[in-house]
Amino acid sequence: MRRLFPVVIIIVLFFSCAEEQDFDQFDDLNVVPEIASSIFYFESDETTINVAGTGAFYQETFTFEAFNEAFISDNVLDGVITYQLENTTSKPLGLLIEFLDAGGNVLDSESFVIQEDPAPMLERQVAYGDGGRPLDILRNTTNIRVEGQNMGDASSQSSQSDPKIILRSSGAFRLQLL
Amino acid sequence: MIKRVLVLSATLFGVMTLYAQNKQLLYDFYEIPQALLLNPGMKTPYAWHSGVPLLSGFSIQAGTSGVSVNDIFANDGIDFTTKVREEVVNGLRKNDEFGGSGQIEIFSVGFRNANRPSDYISFGMYGEGFIAQYWPRDLAILAFEGNANNLNRRFSLNHIATQGEVVNVFHFGISRELNQKWTVGARVKLYSSVFEFKSANNRGYFVTTPGESNILRNTLVADVTLRTSGVQEIIDILEEDTNATQADLANLLLRRSLLGGNLGIGFDFGFTHNFRRNSVITASILDLGFIYHSNAVKNYTLNGAATNEGIEIILPDDFTNFNDEIWQELVDDLEAQVPFETNERSYFSLRPFKAYASFRYNFGEPRTRTKDCGCGVNTISRTDDLGYKSAVGGQFFMMNRARGPQVAVTGFFQQRIGNALAVKTTYTVDKYTFSNVGLGASLQAGPVNFYILANNLLGYANIPNSNYASLQFGFNILSWNDN
Repeated sequence: MRRLFPVVIIIVLFFSCAEEQDFDQFDDLNVVPEIASSIFYFESDETTINVAGTGAFYQETFTFEAFNEAFISDNVLDGVITYQLENTTSKPLGLLIEFLDAGGNVLDSESFVIQEDPAPMLERQVAYGDGGRPLDILRNTTNIRVEGQNMGDASSQSSQSDPKIILRSSGAFRLQLL
Repeated sequence: MIKRVLVLSATLFGVMTLYAQNKQLLYDFYEIPQALLLNPGMKTPYAWHSGVPLLSGFSIQAGTSGVSVNDIFANDGIDFTTKVREEVVNGLRKNDEFGGSGQIEIFSVGFRNANRPSDYISFGMYGEGFIAQYWPRDLAILAFEGNANNLNRRFSLNHIATQGEVVNVFHFGISRELNQKWTVGARVKLYSSVFEFKSANNRGYFVTTPGESNILRNTLVADVTLRTSGVQEIIDILEEDTNATQADLANLLLRRSLLGGNLGIGFDFGFTHNFRRNSVITASILDLGFIYHSNAVKNYTLNGAATNEGIEIILPDDFTNFNDEIWQELVDDLEAQVPFETNERSYFSLRPFKAYASFRYNFGEPRTRTKDCGCGVNTISRTDDLGYKSAVGGQFFMMNRARGPQVAVTGFFQQRIGNALAVKTTYTVDKYTFSNVGLGASLQAGPVNFYILANNLLGYANIPNSNYASLQFGFNILSWNDN
């Protein structure tokens, strides 16, 4: 009996078992988070629109390199950009959003027309990637151009307390991390 | 490549992961001189001992809590991503951990003081290291799911907690038998830190909420610190990637091991108390000390608060103030509000102290061949001096950790078999497992002592399914009290 102890130890330590493992499964791991963030916010009061007169009341181009950051452009699978437009002014308004590449070429554009107050909030979702617009639009976008159009008169004033046009936008993108 | 690295990491943290540092089999197993490192006030039945250099004490421990390798990598046909999501991402809690520890004794020597035979003096050098990675649950969920479908959920940065080090320890201790009932001991340690990293007590969160002006608002509040010493030097050498890399790395590790790194001091205390006829209580507290890190220090901080609702253009203000580099301005603002910085400030790190306690009841009659040498200590034949034939008892272990103390409770049975062999079996309950049965043996062949101790034997039936494993072994040359 006493001689059994070392034998038991040896058996336990050197003849232990291991159920079959498959470490190659790691290649099948899919880590695909969906990240979301606001993109940009545009707001103009009605007085400013009236001062500019009819037609274009605002046009500006600014850099926007969120999409072509390597972390996004290398890993993005698909995504949706959501726009929300509100108009509490007394005139119909138009907004044009253009995505530009580094050379100033228009890669994509989104045009909105919203009627005067009381117009319901306009919401639009634009898909990119599988089934939507090409992802390369996002990958190559380095600038955004925003243009506002006054499609009504330049003198009327809404009865709302603080009449304005507001554009909100956000993006939700699925990234293939692994 | 990334996946390969992650497989390696998973292997390191999953298969090879070690931790706990509880050496319940070795504690108070006083046939083995290395047990003195767990209680300097241990009974010392030796005249002298010398560990076989580099072979006298080797231990490695492995532990994961909450998930086993088999849960993830079993060849069971279940989709791997599903297993990771259910078992790891959603299954683990922030106090679950992966970790590891190992120790190798470089040399150890002990002898009974000729002028004061009640004192047993021991000294030596050993290297040890550990890594403990708590599961960053919230950040893992954020990485796995993203924030889009987690509106209003705060992802806590407090879940970031990691710690690791390699340290070389020079030690000198005395165990003194005060009388037949009391033995006390102390050990002083000089630590030579090779490297260390630690990030704990972090605060802050990341949350996505409906925006005040825009659709979404992302908020980051961070107070996160990672302290390192010695790590950057190793990284620099590894990044050299030249023919001299291995030699440079070896030289660096050797230099930092031999007092060329950051130094510290610590103490161990312990006692053994015999009461009634066969009952013994023991206790010890180890590594009460600190290391002062002043060279090769590099600390990383992320501290501040920021909210973001994207780029804003508000007319008429932006007619005059408009900056077409508004995107870069936004990025710069965020980086200024939550700067990621480094510094080289020196710091103290307290040692992760450990405490043991035990109650032991000896029974069975050892052989009685008492001799009195007239030196104040009954140096007697081996079996007699070991004082038991069989013993049963319980042990308690506690270790100070980044998230509070970690405890373990052990029941044990110990048996001497003749003069040559002693075996000890334990049953331990801790956060890793409720079924940890250990078995250890100390074998004496002439002056040569060999011991081997292994934990969680039930887990050896399917090692990948085990949450914990440990192994210790070593060789000593020793002489029992017999003069």
